[in-house]
This record gives sequence, structure tokens and C-alpha cells, in this order.
Amino acid sequence: MIFNKHGIIAANFKHTQKEKSMKKSVLFTAIFLIATLVLGACSQPAPAPTAAPTEAPTEAPKPTEAATEAPTEAAPAATLRIWADDTRAPALEKLAPAFLAEYNVALNIELKSSLRDDFQLAAPLGEGPDILFGIPHDQVASIVANGLAAELDLGEKAAQFVPSTLDACKYDGKLYCMPYATENLAFFYNTDLVETAPTTWDEVVEMGEALKAEDKVDYIMAVTGTTYDLYPLYTAFGGYIFGKDANGNWNDQDLGVDSEGMIAAAQWLKDQLDKGNIPADWDWANNHALFETGAAPFIMAGPWALDRIRQSGIPYAITNFPAGPAGEGYPFSGVQTVLINEQSENKLLAQAFLTEFVATEDTMTELYNVGQRPSAFISVLEKLDDADLIAFGKAGINATAMPAIPAMGSVWGNWDTSILLVRDGKQDAKTALKEGAEKIRALIANPAYGMVNVPGSYQDQAGCEAAWAPECAATQMSKNDEGLWVSGPFALKAGEYEVKVALDGNWTTNYGVDGEANGDNYKFTLDADGEVDFVYDEATHLLTINVK
Amino acid sequence: MALADKPKDAHSIAESQLSKIIRVVFMIAFNAGALWFIYQAYSKGFYQIAILLGIIVVFFDVIFSLKKGYPFRWMAFGLAFMLVFVIYPIFFTLYIDFTNYGDGHLLTKEQALVQIENATYLPATGKSYDWTAFKSDNGEYALWLTDRSTGETFLAKPDEEIQATKPGDPGVGEADAKGVPQSIEGYTRLNTLLAAADKQLPNIKFGLAGEEGLSTVQVRSPNEAAELQIRYLYDKEADTLTDQETGRVYYDKEGIFTSTDGRTVQPGFRANIGWKNFINFFTSPALRGPIVRILIWNFIFPLISVVSTFALGVSIAIMYNEKDFPLKKLIRTLLLIPYTIPSVITILIWRGMLNSEFGVINRILNAVIGTAPRWTTEPIWAQIAVLIVNLWLGFPYMMLITSGALQSIPTDMYEAATIDGANSWQKFRSITLPLLLVAVGPLLIASYVFNFNNFGLIYLFIGGGPAIVGASTQAGHTDILISYIYKLAFESGGRGVQYGLASAISVVLFILVGAMTLFQYRFTNMWEEVSENA
Repeated sequence: MIFNKHGIIAANFKHTQKEKSMKKSVLFTAIFLIATLVLGACSQPAPAPTAAPTEAPTEAPKPTEAATEAPTEAAPAATLRIWADDTRAPALEKLAPAFLAEYNVALNIELKSSLRDDFQLAAPLGEGPDILFGIPHDQVASIVANGLAAELDLGEKAAQFVPSTLDACKYDGKLYCMPYATENLAFFYNTDLVETAPTTWDEVVEMGEALKAEDKVDYIMAVTGTTYDLYPLYTAFGGYIFGKDANGNWNDQDLGVDSEGMIAAAQWLKDQLDKGNIPADWDWANNHALFETGAAPFIMAGPWALDRIRQSGIPYAITNFPAGPAGEGYPFSGVQTVLINEQSENKLLAQAFLTEFVATEDTMTELYNVGQRPSAFISVLEKLDDADLIAFGKAGINATAMPAIPAMGSVWGNWDTSILLVRDGKQDAKTALKEGAEKIRALIANPAYGMVNVPGSYQDQAGCEAAWAPECAATQMSKNDEGLWVSGPFALKAGEYEVKVALDGNWTTNYGVDGEANGDNYKFTLDADGEVDFVYDEATHLLTINVK
Repeated sequence: MALADKPKDAHSIAESQLSKIIRVVFMIAFNAGALWFIYQAYSKGFYQIAILLGIIVVFFDVIFSLKKGYPFRWMAFGLAFMLVFVIYPIFFTLYIDFTNYGDGHLLTKEQALVQIENATYLPATGKSYDWTAFKSDNGEYALWLTDRSTGETFLAKPDEEIQATKPGDPGVGEADAKGVPQSIEGYTRLNTLLAAADKQLPNIKFGLAGEEGLSTVQVRSPNEAAELQIRYLYDKEADTLTDQETGRVYYDKEGIFTSTDGRTVQPGFRANIGWKNFINFFTSPALRGPIVRILIWNFIFPLISVVSTFALGVSIAIMYNEKDFPLKKLIRTLLLIPYTIPSVITILIWRGMLNSEFGVINRILNAVIGTAPRWTTEPIWAQIAVLIVNLWLGFPYMMLITSGALQSIPTDMYEAATIDGANSWQKFRSITLPLLLVAVGPLLIASYVFNFNNFGLIYLFIGGGPAIVGASTQAGHTDILISYIYKLAFESGGRGVQYGLASAISVVLFILVGAMTLFQYRFTNMWEEVSENA
């Protein structure tokens, strides 16, 4: 029965199919035709016979856009595409008509929520904007490393910026972004509960415990995070993240996550937690609520939280950070910046836009008004009259710029985990931070951390895949009893060879002739097939080559 | 009858001819459009996309021109989209596996070379100037140059020797405050922005080159024009770069031009690095570390999730399958709510409710029984919390699918069982469950596989935490493979964004999940046997 039924259904279907097929194919054809036409029309390049073909499509001005933006003007001479965040985009929108009127250049402002991620995806495809507006300076590092940020020349305008903010934009001595604002944490206290600001962390505990004993507060302090948000506490105890080398550059081999001060500060936090002085949960919003409802008299917060604290109506004052065993604590400082896309075809125009139009008192004042951060532009900063922001500036006077080195990317997560393990009582402060620091070191230094090698043109005869391989384990040196590093002997064919000393399996630290860092190659010659061994003294960085 | 049929036939033949014409026109248009796309993709260096489009075009042409391809015409679009959005990404992932695509190697080699070849340097003897641009009516530029060290002024035009000129000279107007002439005969003075709006300006070489002591000047930035030289020469044959300034030679070494003494030329680019990503993954501390623990949890988490959601879903479905259940419709509607609210919102709400310190659940527990579990910091409670949230998210779906299946179970079976003296549990075990499993078995597997990769829940709810003490990488007790990989490849637990490594790991993961699904389909066969017996 069922089988028959199926047969009938199938037959019926075939019948109707044939009838409908004509209509269907017409329909499909129509859809396809429209689709091809639309697609073709959209992506048709503007005829630009004289220009190079690759430049043609983007070069053509867009007449329709120009018409809507400036109905009285002729088409603008050029268009700058800008990506900005939700704070900066409206401010730029406001400036666009003035800019168009003055210079006949249209600004096409697009709002983006995750500027860096979107940019790193779009820019390599040639779809990025000309200008990226509102990038924190520590995020610029990876953009520069990816070759997506253009070098900047602010010319004489450079003198009008706060020098430290310009430093934050420099990589390898070259300027890659233009700063416009700075931000850092400051110490807030509730003026109803506390009369005079505490100057040391001991006073914080003393005052807080007194209030707690009177049942006026639940906690002595609100804690809004584990790493960045607690940095002024860590520094007051002598903690740090990266040390600096003699030239003032960050030294990623000097990691301070497990420094004495960091451990002491983590222990201090754990002690306060055990006494019930601070909450066991350090969620940002929850802890802000503690301060804003008067349940905690102290908090460390940034200018981004100023609005919500003001709106809460709690009486507050902003002051410098309390001191600890290592002196007054200092926060990280961040610099908000603008950068130009290296892949942009409008680099010169974009630079001119920044120097001629953005780096002016009017625009910088406008940016200050929407952003509510101390300006990086000296003349605007000098006019700063907001008492809160002045207090922020004072609290951040000794701030260290957030290290903008790739190694920093490996720090945040592991540092956070270590502090959480201490907070939750899973590990004591020392073990947790030591283990966290080891993980970071492993990531920064790569698997070959600690390796001493003699990369050179001989390596392909010594069991390596290729010559000049600092990571090749076959030629790795080992330390002898006298404290000297030795490798070999290697059997080599007659010929001329060049070598160098490299540490940690890469070229970052390398020594050449006379033990000079980044110096010239050592050269040696084998007149006949023979053996060579190497001796390296890590005190003098000198390499001895013994040819047999 | 026959008469009536005839005109209809003629009509349909005419229609088919019309459709044939339209089809040919459409195919020509389609081919033209597609060829243009392919050309664009090819000329921009997206070879894979060009090849893919080519395949689709051939495929469409065959289908729409051959009679045999007729049945495929209905599926052509679906197949094309599948090719573009499913098959292509798979192959792209496989390709990315073997590259170092990621931070530091984002650009293609062509893009990196364009950038490197555009790099310029100012030789030690080279001069640098402040500039002001002038433009003639026929679009030619002239630059007014002020030497930065000596303050001497020059007028430079393309292909003409640079002339030392002062304001007030013949044809040159008087100087303004900056010492730049207000006008030059035949030219209009441009402000910096207006001049910069011309993309060609930085490429124009002012002055005459080639002869001894002469060099051209180019605009370098809005402030500076200088006697720039091309910095790097690329030798295509040898694939090497030569630095014109220092003479150093750079070789392409795994996506970055590196000299023998270890100096590199930025930017790096994507390069084929063979099996390195896989080797890195299998030899990294990430694998030696907590991977076993994560794998075990990765199998347990979806298993308990599926069993618990199925159990709750079935019980509720059976309950309101009873005819005289009060307020049936209202309850059924209410129970569907968790399914209709976007899970992102639900997860975040649960995250707040289960907060150890401030969460409503712990406050109530503390008030009522005086103690409360620390959901976010104790490993076992964190795992339980994740399972509870997933139960909340998942049971309405199970309820929906089982209530449908329940209605298809013939009631006479229950009647027969009642006559045989079976109690409710026996009826459930021997009738309801086996017949249900036949219907929803494949859906349970789908649910298991979905939860195996339930990144959203784990990541949003707790971020994989709490951390595993002593793990060599950043790993948490609730981390499943996919969230762990995310941490390693994209977050601060690793070394910046590494698409290559992430692709390699996801291929390993794909093999795991694929094997699992295959294995479980064997079980469905088993269920089918059960149904035959029933």
C-alpha cells in the first residue's frame, strides 16, 4: 500500500515539476541577471585612464556623498576616512563641516567599537581607514609591529605636546602616533566618612577599621580589579612589572611580577581579606557600587568612572595615592592617541589633517570637552580648570607609562591569575607570583630561553637545517666548570666562515667582534678540512674560535 | 482531448525557447561578471578566491547548459554558497595551519614588499627643507624650499634644476611672515592641506637628477621635503633585499627579511612554515600542562549537560502530557521563556546571581542556612554552576522535542502494558524511553557536539576559571578545549594573536569532534535496532 502511495506521489511530483520548471528557470534567470548587474555596477572601477590601475577604484571621489554633505560646494578635493570610538566620533562629526568648508576635504567618520581588532583585520586587506582615532598607546605597539602604522612627523607642532605623551608614541625612536589625552587612576575618599586623606596604607587600614568598628561601612576599601586597578598599591610596596635598561627602554628580561614588593602587596591584600576588610569579590561594577553607596570609604578609580561617581551623589575628594614601604604609590598612565594607516593612499593628507587641524587649540579643547581627560596639548592642559581632573593629574605625576612592548601581552592574564590564586587562598603569595612569573618568562623568552649559541655560516655542516640559525640546538653551547660556555668540536670543510654569538635562541641579544652588541661578524678560515670549537665568556661577551 | 492538448504543447515549446534565450543571455552576463570578479581577485593577489570563483562558474555553466545537469539547477545556489561559506573556509583553515599568519605576520608578502620598497632614507649628505607648494593652472607643481640648516631658499620644479631664489626676485612675490613668497608668477600658492590632498605629490621628484652634485627632492611629510633615496632594492631572483644605505643583505626567513647578523626589516609577512604550528602545539607547555584535565572535563561537561537537560525536559514533557494537568498551557509557555531569551543575556544574569559576594543566590543561602558555596573560586562549585546554567539554558529545547515525540507513541501500547500489570516506571522504562530515544537520539548527539564546543557559555559565564593551581599555562577548571585554545591563541595567556597556531589547533579539535560524532552515529544504529524490536 505505502509503496504504491509513494509511487503515485513521485509521479505527481514529476508531472508538476515539468510544468513549473519553465516558470522557475525564468525566475532564476531574472534573479541572476539582476544579481550580476547589481554586483557588476557596484564594483565597477571609476574610469581613470592616466592613473595606475590599482589606485583607480579608491581614488575616484564619491560624488553622491559629497552632494549630501555639502550641497553648495563642488565635489570635495579628497575624502579622509576616519574610524573613531563612540566618544570621539560625535566630536569629529561636529568638526567635519568646518573642515570641509575651510579645506574642501570631506571627513567620512565611521564609529567602531573595537578599533584595534577591526583595524588589524581590515587594514591588511586595503579596507582600513586613513586615520584611527582613539587608540590607547599600549595598543599601538602591535599595530606598529604588524606594519600598519605610518611614521609621523609633527614638525614644529611637536613642541606643543606634553613631552612624556610623545615618548609614549615612540617605537625605536620613531613617532607612530599623535597623543591627545592622558589618563590614570587616582585615590578617591568619601568626605562624609573621612576628614583628611590618608597618606599611608597603614592609615587607610586604621581609618577604615575605625569606621568599620562603628558600623559605618562594610569594608575599608573597594577593590575594582586585580592588576591595573591595584598597581598603585603594588608600587607603594615596591612592586613593578618591567624594569628599564640604561637607555630608559623597557627591559623584558627584568620581570617584576614576582618582585619582593609585589609579593608583599599581594600578602597585604590577602591579610586585609582575611580580616574582612576588603570584599572577596573584586568585580569592577560591584565594587564601584560599594563606594557609591558609602559601604566603602576608599576606592582607586580612573576618570572614566568620574561620571558615575558624580551621579551617585556621594561626597568625594580625589587625592594622591597613599605611601607604602617603598614610598608613595604611582599608577600606570595611558595615552590616548591618533594614528595613520600605513596602507592608506592619503598618508600625506592625513598627516596634514593631524598637524594643521587636530593639533590646534580649538580641536584639542573640543576633544577635551567630550573626553574629560587631561589633554596632551600643553596650551589646553594649562587651561584645565576642572578640580577633579587637576587632582588626577597630580596623582599621576609619577606615573609610569603602560609598557608598550609585545612582552606585555603575555603579562596581563598570568599576573591576574596569580593574584586571584592568592586572593582565593589557593596558594600563598610567594608561590603564586613566582609560578605566574615563570609562565610569563616562558612566553616572553620562548622555549630557547637561556640558550647560548654560535649561529653562523658553518651551521648547515654541524647538524642544523640551515646556516645562521640562532635557535638550532645542535650548535648550542654548554657551561663548563670554569664558567665558560663551550661548543664543538665541529667537523667542517675547508673554507671561509662567519659566526656570531646569540642568546636565548634569537637575534634580540647578539654579540660580534670585540664583544660588541649587534657588532660585526667574527670571521675564520679553514685551509683544509678540519675541526673548530668555540669558547664564549659571558662576562666579556668575547668569543674564542679554536681552529684545528 | 487531443485538440485541446495541442495548443498547450505549442505554447510550452514557445515558452521553453524564450527561456532558452533568457538563459543564454543570463549566462553570458553571469560569465562576464564572474570573469571580472576573478580578474579582480587575481590581480589583487587573492588566488584562492579566484580559483574558487572559477570552480563555481564552471559548475554553473555546466549545470545551466547541459540537460543532464537539470536537477542540479535547484541546488546550484545552495551548493555554491556551501562552497563559498563552508568548504572554502575549511580549506582556508587548512592552508593557514601551515603559515605563521598572526601578529607580526599579518600582511601578504606582496603588501610587505610594496611597503619596504617605498621606504626611503636621507643620505648623510642629503639636504632637508621646509616646503610650500605652488600649483599652475595646468596642474604643474612648484615647491618653495627653505634649507633647514642654512636658511637658503630655492624654487624647485619637476625636471628642472633647482634654482636658488629669494622673495622679491623677478616673477616671485614678496615674502610673508614665514619668509615664503605670497605669489609666484603663473602659479597659485597652496596651503599644506590642499597640497596634501593630491596623492601624487609625494611621488613627484623635483629637480634634476643624474648629474654630479644634483639630486631630486621629494615631499616626505607635511613639514619636510628632502633629497630622499630609495632604501631597499629587492632582487626577485634571489629573493633578497639590499639596504642601499648600509649595503646589508636581507634574506626571507620565515616571513621576515633577516640579515645574517640578525637584523630584520619590518614589516613581516605571511609565510609557509610547514608543520611548525603542529609541532609547536604538540611540544608546547600547553600540552604538557593541563590538557588531560581539560580533555576529561571537556567530555564530562557535555555528557552531564545532555543527560541533565534531557532528564528534566522529558520529565516536564511527560507531566504536561497528562490530560488533566492544571494550567498546562500557561506553564508550558512560561517554561519556554529560558529558550526564547538570548543566551548571552541569560548567562550574564546568572553570572550576577551566582556572584559569591554580592549575588542574590548566595545572599539568600547565607541568610537561610548560614553558608553558601563560592561559585566562582572553588573548582567543583564552578563546574556545578556551569552545569546549572547550562541546564537552565538547555531543558526547554529538550522539552520541546520530546513532547512532540511523546505524542507519536501509540497509546494502545500503554493500554496493553496496563493490562499486563506494568507500573508507571516499567511503562516509562520499556515503552516511553526506548521509543523516545529512537526519535530524539540524533538530536542528543547534536546537543552533545554543540556542548562539546560551547565556547559562549564557558567564556561568558566564568572565563574558564578558577585557575588550575600549578598549571604551566593559563588554564582554568571549567576550561574546555575551545576556550583554552582561545586563551592560548588570542588572549594575553599567549604571545599575541596567532591565527596560524589557532587554525592548527582547531584542525586537531575538528579531528577529535569528527571521530566522536562518527563513533556516536554507531550508537544511533544501535537505537534503530531497539526500535525494530519494539
